[in-house]
Amino acid sequence: MARPNNNTSRMDDLLASVTGDLLGDLPQTFNDNTLRVERILLEMVRPDPVQPRRVLPESIHLNFHNNRVTPTQALRELVQLVQIAARQRGRPFNGVLELLPNADDERDDEANVVLSPEEQLLRDLVNLAVTIRDDGQVNPLTVVDISQGVTRLFRIETGERRYWATWLLRDFIPNYTGDGMIPCIIIPANRSSVFRQAKENTARSGLTAVALARQAALLLLTVHGYEIPAYAVGNDFYRHALELDLRAKREYTDLILSAMGGMKRGQFSHFKNLLRLSDEALELADRYNIEEGKLRHLLNVAAEYHTEIVRQIIDFNLSAKQVKELCNGDGLHDTKDATDDVSPSAIKMAKVTQSISATTPQELARALMRQEGDASVARARLQAMRKLITDTERYLVDE
Amino acid sequence: MTRVFVFTNHKGGVGKSTSATNIAFGITGMLHRANASNCRVLLIDTDSQGHASLVTTGKKDYGTDDSLYTVLMADRQNAPQTLMNCIVPSTWDENLHVLPASPMLEGAERELMGVAGAPYRLADPLSKIANQYAAIVIDTRPSFSLMTEMGLLAGTDAIVPVEPRYLETVGLTSVIQKINDIREGWRHPNLRVSGLIVTKMDNRIRGHNHLLAELKSHPVLGKLLLGVIPANEAVSYAHRNHQSLFSYDPRASASKAYVQVVASLVRYLSKGGE
Repeated sequence: MARPNNNTSRMDDLLASVTGDLLGDLPQTFNDNTLRVERILLEMVRPDPVQPRRVLPESIHLNFHNNRVTPTQALRELVQLVQIAARQRGRPFNGVLELLPNADDERDDEANVVLSPEEQLLRDLVNLAVTIRDDGQVNPLTVVDISQGVTRLFRIETGERRYWATWLLRDFIPNYTGDGMIPCIIIPANRSSVFRQAKENTARSGLTAVALARQAALLLLTVHGYEIPAYAVGNDFYRHALELDLRAKREYTDLILSAMGGMKRGQFSHFKNLLRLSDEALELADRYNIEEGKLRHLLNVAAEYHTEIVRQIIDFNLSAKQVKELCNGDGLHDTKDATDDVSPSAIKMAKVTQSISATTPQELARALMRQEGDASVARARLQAMRKLITDTERYLVDE
Repeated sequence: MTRVFVFTNHKGGVGKSTSATNIAFGITGMLHRANASNCRVLLIDTDSQGHASLVTTGKKDYGTDDSLYTVLMADRQNAPQTLMNCIVPSTWDENLHVLPASPMLEGAERELMGVAGAPYRLADPLSKIANQYAAIVIDTRPSFSLMTEMGLLAGTDAIVPVEPRYLETVGLTSVIQKINDIREGWRHPNLRVSGLIVTKMDNRIRGHNHLLAELKSHPVLGKLLLGVIPANEAVSYAHRNHQSLFSYDPRASASKAYVQVVASLVRYLSKGGE
């Protein structure tokens, strides 16, 4: 008769008796907790969803971390985004390698081309990928072992750009001869550190003011005992830090300021306060790498104007002084007085001009059709609106 | 380098699956006791009968999308990811992971016959994730088929379980010869015969004692002898209860013998396979 027996302690005794007898001090060999460099399959590595420094544009970043797209699909989305941006600027391309400057082309205008942030991002990634292809990857990534059960997974602490460059190399660049693996320094989960990540981030150039703001928030949230999620978070998560400050955790102040690149308390506070900007303004400011000195003035005006002012900073390359004047000017922070004597419909129309970028012609056409129910009436409405816009513009010029 | 132990013998019923499953579990347990930073062991079942999968996971209905078959049929580029997706936890220990077999593996051999690079369809993806494990154990089917070749090409150390009977020991040389053929023929110098395990030993049978003595005195085979596992009814009871031999009855003579084998292999691992 079978005797089920789940008494594992007896089995432990059996194993223990042999460990002592036969293995001697050999277990020490296995008990090596030092940092180690290993080649890991790309699929086992994932970027940190709350890493303040964004490599991919926000929408792709969120899609990827919410597991709606694979790394290859995320990169394909990026390439398509850049193809559209490049075509609009009259620089269409088919293969990503065409983004790199042509060494044989000695024309001066190559240096004068102003790339969009997406073009610049992809170009940098392609450049890095080609360097890895030609010279190998010299610096391993730093990853944290977050494996659970049979799921082997490593979260990137530093080196997300190298990760994306390797995917780009594997799936988008010809003549890849690698084996789909990437060298990584593996850190046990209990030794992972946001401070190390922050130092690595701030030690390099190109970290945007918005990324620094997220970085400051992440450090504050960590030392205040907030649980850092393992999934993609929106700006509202970082905004929790607006209610926190360094004074409540004095013992960490030096550590935080040092991890932020040795900045002063005042600077830290300025960066953290940038999180008060609207989501759209934050994304734009991050993409176009707008300095904190310019962005801080936006905090004096109502949130509804943030995006528009950021657009103006980008389009007209405004200086910090100009931004300050713009933000302190009439009509932005004291909207009530200025609009008292105008009709509500005029205010509505003025608001519409701020959200034009969020609407496509097709959407507007569909909305008009739904409202009017007839194409000719919808066209008549548009023509009346066009006349109003022309007259308004003429009025503004005259004024 | 992670050592990959392949339990192989073209004779059936010699204890390949019993040895593979219990030794894989034993290695995990012993590494865990030694506080090893990595004590995960992967058991790969290449036998379409799926006995190793059944006893270690309690399931045998693995199919086309969750077994070794899936890995063998995957695109070359996706194979490592597919392999990771198909690995399941065992019910024996959280650190013992299993890549289960499927009855479909019979058909896989026919489907893969003539496909370029077919013998490497296990070795290639396995090499990408091998470093995540302290050791890998492969259970093979009782024949020298394409599936066994795949197992051997993925392996570093062949271990041959053998019964102490005349015909089995005669067949032993042909098993070793076959392994050597694979090493030379497929240019796989890392593969070597690292051990023999005599199974189902019955001291009361004079023939068993005689053949064991012969094996021990053999200049080459004698050095390869890893352990002698006595015939023990506890083995079949453990199988029936889907338990490891060590958990079912640690005081059984077979348990004690297997622990000696596990200890030898752990020592071998600690020396990096020297």
